[in-house]
Amino acid sequence: MQSQVEPNLSYFIAKARSIEGRTFQKKIKVAILSSFTINGLEEALRVKCAESEITCLTYICGYGQYNQDILDQSSKLYEFSPDITFVIIDTRTVMSTLFYTPYAIPVNDRRSYIDKRVADFVNLIRTFKNRTDSKLVLTNCSIPTYSPYGICEGKSEYGLMEMVYDFNAKLSDVFRSDPQVFLFDFNSFVSKYGEVNVLDYRQFLVGDIKVSLSHIPHLAEEMMGYVKANMGINRKCIVLDLDNTLWGGIIGEDGFDRIDLSLKPPGTAFVEFQRMLLALYQRGIILAINSRNNEDEALRAIREHPYMVLREENFATMKINWRDKISNMKEIAEELNIGLESIVYFDDDPINRELMLKAIPQIMTVDLPDDPSLYASTLMRINDFNTLAVTSEDRKRGEMYRQERRRTELKNSASNLEDFLKQLEIKVTMKKANDFTIPRIAQLTLKTNQFNLTTRRYQEEDVQMFAHDQTKLIGCAQTKDKFGDNGITGVYIVNKNHADKEWYIDTFLLSCRVMGRGIEEVMLGYILSKAKEEGVERVKAEFIPTKKNKPCEQLLPNFGFKKEGQQWVYTYHVPIKQTSHIELNED
Amino acid sequence: MSNNLLDIVANVMEVQVTQIDDESGPETIENWDSFRGLILFEELESKFNVKFTLNELLNIKKIKDIKNILSVRGASLNG
Repeated sequence: MQSQVEPNLSYFIAKARSIEGRTFQKKIKVAILSSFTINGLEEALRVKCAESEITCLTYICGYGQYNQDILDQSSKLYEFSPDITFVIIDTRTVMSTLFYTPYAIPVNDRRSYIDKRVADFVNLIRTFKNRTDSKLVLTNCSIPTYSPYGICEGKSEYGLMEMVYDFNAKLSDVFRSDPQVFLFDFNSFVSKYGEVNVLDYRQFLVGDIKVSLSHIPHLAEEMMGYVKANMGINRKCIVLDLDNTLWGGIIGEDGFDRIDLSLKPPGTAFVEFQRMLLALYQRGIILAINSRNNEDEALRAIREHPYMVLREENFATMKINWRDKISNMKEIAEELNIGLESIVYFDDDPINRELMLKAIPQIMTVDLPDDPSLYASTLMRINDFNTLAVTSEDRKRGEMYRQERRRTELKNSASNLEDFLKQLEIKVTMKKANDFTIPRIAQLTLKTNQFNLTTRRYQEEDVQMFAHDQTKLIGCAQTKDKFGDNGITGVYIVNKNHADKEWYIDTFLLSCRVMGRGIEEVMLGYILSKAKEEGVERVKAEFIPTKKNKPCEQLLPNFGFKKEGQQWVYTYHVPIKQTSHIELNED
Repeated sequence: MSNNLLDIVANVMEVQVTQIDDESGPETIENWDSFRGLILFEELESKFNVKFTLNELLNIKKIKDIKNILSVRGASLNG
């Protein structure tokens, strides 16, 4: 897939009609509640979902009916039962006549007005949360750019702009740690495109359209950030070319001292681009290199060039050689154990890009502009790195991949697999679901594909509910070895049926990062021992095959589970399999 | 992308270009509601690099009216 410029709304309207009836495996129901006319948004959203192979069903509230829809328990909104609900409000609606004449009332009344409006919305959202499990994305208000007080606006206590700032800040405080509610920074959206462009006065005056038709596709694109994150679709890795991508010029021809990479233009463009990449690295995006170059020359620049922002330790793997880039790319995906569909590729050479697009269309090959000063902003436009939460595992990911490189080195030097596993000195700690582990547990159920027996996806709220449910056993496995901490990499969810002395394994998964080291066996052994301690006689499990989960196909039979219909059953007729090279602890 | 007015109208309203002429408008084209009307103006503004006034938007009843406005503004209509 190629990143591209946003087409006009008319394209989406026509396209929405032409894809009607097409369905995909992934489905999402999206409700849009808005305080103004928002025609065209559902079509743009449906088309964008289809481009990501998601069937999107939409519900739009009647004009100005967002309050009623939420308050009325039997409304069409709840009947529709959305997965994700967008509540899009605008400053004029929130401020009412104070938008125009804010200074008609004294400062204390202005303060209490905002407090009252915040309370109104908080109540509305609490009502919504009591009635549905849908995620809720609430926009904040765009800050007015005009004040009747002109340059004295900043001198007036709790003036128009401060009122709206305060409204935004208070709403965001209330919901900051709520996993069901997200604040969409509509004010930033308006800043990004400019108020004069987002609000077309004619459309506003003719039809109460407060996001101009030309900007509806952009709004839909921002909303896709939430939709894709909710479905666990996100890109995880950026693969970079070197010459004219991370620095200007060609290292093999221009040499170490002559490449453009400095605090003077044009070198500044590449420093800026690298700084943005470093920020994504720190958020958990994996970086890798795929470059046709002499390895020693390129490595010297990466290690020693005074203005390189990204260094060797920031790259999970580096393929610097004279082989073709397609093979390199496949190797990168294999080595990092990530799907091709989670890769974003930056290369300045249009021919290389064309080849990559043809050979591996799942990769997002970025249509990089010729002008390096646009690299950073091109990177910032990519809206595919989103997850619903940034966990501590995300922030440590770069470090983990570095450790992984050292593990691979050990594996290559060990005489056989058994020796390698022994030398790793793996320790597994089984942990309960609690406030610290729940976000990561949910994240793993949402995105783990390969070693996942049932591929059941759970949101953070679901996991929270399970953790308090006496009939469930839910936990996770933290793994470390002599090279470092892998963090939480395994999850299990068990339904306990004590009346029948039977447990059912609802979910059992392991991050692909640590597959093939016996950790899955320790986890399953742990569950079976727990069950035995509680007098359980039968443990049932299921393997629901998908396109991707073949790696865990043999887990159950290897443990002595016997197939009964759709399920696999273990009855303690054979001893629980032991895994001697791993030390097991309980937390 | 065509700069032909009829092509643009046909495209936005999702009708055959052969089905419309200068006399066509919201009265004769079923898809031409107020929303599609605004989309049409949006398209025309970006294609012909003009801005319609509020009154022009409200008073366009036929394709002929659009032609008149565009020619007053000096936009070049191909075909």
